[in-house]
Amino acid sequence: MTFIDDILNYDSLSIVGLQKNTGKTVSLNYVLDRLPIDRKRIAVTSIGIDGETTDQVTRTQKPEIYLRQGMYFGTSEMHYRQKRIVSELIDVSDENTSLGRVVTAKALTGGKILLSGPSSASGLKRWMKDMHRVGLDLVIIDGALSRLSLASPAVSQSMILATGAAYSTNMTTLVNQTAFIVELINIPLTSEEQLKLLMPIEKGVWFVDSNGALHEIKTVSSLSQEIHFEGMDDCKTLYVAGALVDGFLEKVRKNPKLKTTELVVRDFTKIFVTPQQYRLFLKLGGKIRVLQKSKLIAVTVNPTSPLGVVLDSDTLCAKLTEAIHLPVYDLMKEQCN
Amino acid sequence: MQLRDHIESPCGLRYVFEQLELQAGYTRRWMLDMPMMRTGEEIAQSYEVLRQFVDFLGRVDTPYINTIQFRLQGLKDIRTTIKNLGHQAVLDDIELFEVKHLAILAVDVADRMKTHGLDQAVEIPDLNEVITILDPDGLKMASFYVYDSYCQELKELRIQMRQHPDQQEDLLAECAEIEEGVRRDLSKQLYRFAKPLEEAQMALARIDMNLAKALQMKQLGLCFPTISKDDTSRYEAMFHPQVKDALAQRKRAFQPVTLTYGLKPTLITGANMGGKTVVLKTLTLCQYLFQYGFGIPAQSADIAVKDEVFFCIGDEQSIEKGLSSFAAEMKNIDAVIKASRENRKIVALIDEPARTTNPTEGTALVSALVKVLRGDNVSLVMTTHYDIEPTDAHCLRVKGFENGTMNYELVEVQDGEVPHEALNIAESLGIDKEWIETAREILNIPNSVYLTPSNSRGLKSKGVEFDPLGEKGGNE
Repeated sequence: MTFIDDILNYDSLSIVGLQKNTGKTVSLNYVLDRLPIDRKRIAVTSIGIDGETTDQVTRTQKPEIYLRQGMYFGTSEMHYRQKRIVSELIDVSDENTSLGRVVTAKALTGGKILLSGPSSASGLKRWMKDMHRVGLDLVIIDGALSRLSLASPAVSQSMILATGAAYSTNMTTLVNQTAFIVELINIPLTSEEQLKLLMPIEKGVWFVDSNGALHEIKTVSSLSQEIHFEGMDDCKTLYVAGALVDGFLEKVRKNPKLKTTELVVRDFTKIFVTPQQYRLFLKLGGKIRVLQKSKLIAVTVNPTSPLGVVLDSDTLCAKLTEAIHLPVYDLMKEQCN
Repeated sequence: MQLRDHIESPCGLRYVFEQLELQAGYTRRWMLDMPMMRTGEEIAQSYEVLRQFVDFLGRVDTPYINTIQFRLQGLKDIRTTIKNLGHQAVLDDIELFEVKHLAILAVDVADRMKTHGLDQAVEIPDLNEVITILDPDGLKMASFYVYDSYCQELKELRIQMRQHPDQQEDLLAECAEIEEGVRRDLSKQLYRFAKPLEEAQMALARIDMNLAKALQMKQLGLCFPTISKDDTSRYEAMFHPQVKDALAQRKRAFQPVTLTYGLKPTLITGANMGGKTVVLKTLTLCQYLFQYGFGIPAQSADIAVKDEVFFCIGDEQSIEKGLSSFAAEMKNIDAVIKASRENRKIVALIDEPARTTNPTEGTALVSALVKVLRGDNVSLVMTTHYDIEPTDAHCLRVKGFENGTMNYELVEVQDGEVPHEALNIAESLGIDKEWIETAREILNIPNSVYLTPSNSRGLKSKGVEFDPLGEKGGNE
């Protein structure tokens, strides 16, 4: 399968499910099983609890995470004590989770493991940095639940998105919603120059004039209903460091002065607009860019919903492929074949 | 009383503590649990150690210090594990890892200390044997699992496991039993190291602390104090690091203050905004820093050891306790008086007591306090605006305005008469004219120039460049 090779081009990968039971763990195991561990040193961890044998919320059967000999993993003290493999501890961190500190170890035999890594984005970033520092090539994050923000491009370079009938059992809705998320993930980066300028700014609404000078728009919150774009006749770029919502996008669209303005957000996880508003914005000539971007490597689908509805796998894959122009895989089916 | 109990003192102790570049979270907790030193010998010894670290910093280059600091970041709080070991419990993999990790760190740092002649300053128990026990293959790596070489049978089972993944579950169960036996053995061998491990952990924290204190002395320009033999504290060019930093940010300089006080009560008077409160804050801070073995913010200092430090600053309304500012203050000072009657050496630093009540009773209360708070175990330093009878007190006054700028220097005066500059200062602050004029009329003072006899140099209300906000420097 070609997308395994794609993964090797990046030093971090997050596997994210749009919903519980969209087959994220299947995707993770699939990837772990196929990565060339003789060539790459790989570490894997999870955000929060994962790898439990039954789903904590829906009580449905969940596959366990299977590590291969030589892989590194980060998990909580509690899960480390329950491990079913032989492994060598290499670090006990100060990072606390509800299940104890995060420990890091190397698998000396293959086997099943419960993963429960750092529970905050900053903790995760620290852990990943440590892993890269001790010479690991690829860090894989199992983004538990649908917490997209923790798999944000701020954390990982590449991404696999798991979607499926658990997200919606209506195939059209499922395809459209997934396609919309994919579209957001694929928003291009802004110019190199603006990246440098805007990256350090983590809050507020700002604009860049045609001379490249940066101005903060103090009276504006991107969430407020009262948005005035005064004194902004020369606005080349409008940057929203926080959340981008419908109201703001609409104001930008309707303001004739901002007709040719490039709208910049930090990354796709900061966009909270409806597909309708978003598409309208683009259709009327709007331009949107991001500061950070993950490479979406593949989309995987689980056509079975936890309530028993099964969508036709081939149709689903075909429709999604058509909508997103990216390979789509039903990994359960791949494995059966 | 521990550092933890004193750290929130309004004197700014937390500021100095937070400026320490401590490498390990454990060192921080360990320091907060440190009791305040109460004997000259203890304090002298701690400064002796610190002095060796300061010398050490002078001898080695920054990258070397950074390496040691980086190593010390690996210091973890494993008291629970050590306690388990002391209770002869069987340690699990994570605990054994922690023990090995600490032992490797301790041996590494001990070697470095020895190379630089610091092994006498802070003694680290030798934990080489612990490493040998937990590193059967001699890999010298800070990682751990129940190694194959602990048991031939275990080794064979694991080989089998790798060859036959389908039998893994059964083999794991067999391994688990053997592993547990190995851990029991290892724990038994380690029991006798519980104490040395605990000592090593503390020694590493002590090194972390001394390195941080030594670096801080350089950064903040602190000095080594001497220990006073006559209950008198002497400060030459003392400053308050936090106020100094705040002023520096506004491009202004802190004017250092020189001051001596002993068992005779010391009264500080002076104009408003004359830095009296800052003097008290600094004295309190220095006393704490001294008794916790930090460098002292002064050019030189000779400090008397105390059993307890009292810093009473006004404006402490205690809403939770339902006390007014006056009541809260009275309670605080009451505690000082009570402590003074016990046989403990105390220093009481009291800022404008009874300022919130009427001047008649206020003056009486303050005068009485000077009489009550004395004895061969009490050092009292007090600021006030009240004219009180200075019965055998040591009186100091802030020099006040000279050529339009505040001179924060303290000068000895014979009596406790307070300067009457409030109206002029208020006027220069641009306070409502009518208010000030009316006050003058009430005082029946000539309108244009009013100077108290004791401050005839400085301030004229008109025609003099005046700097009430201390734009040119200021210790407010």
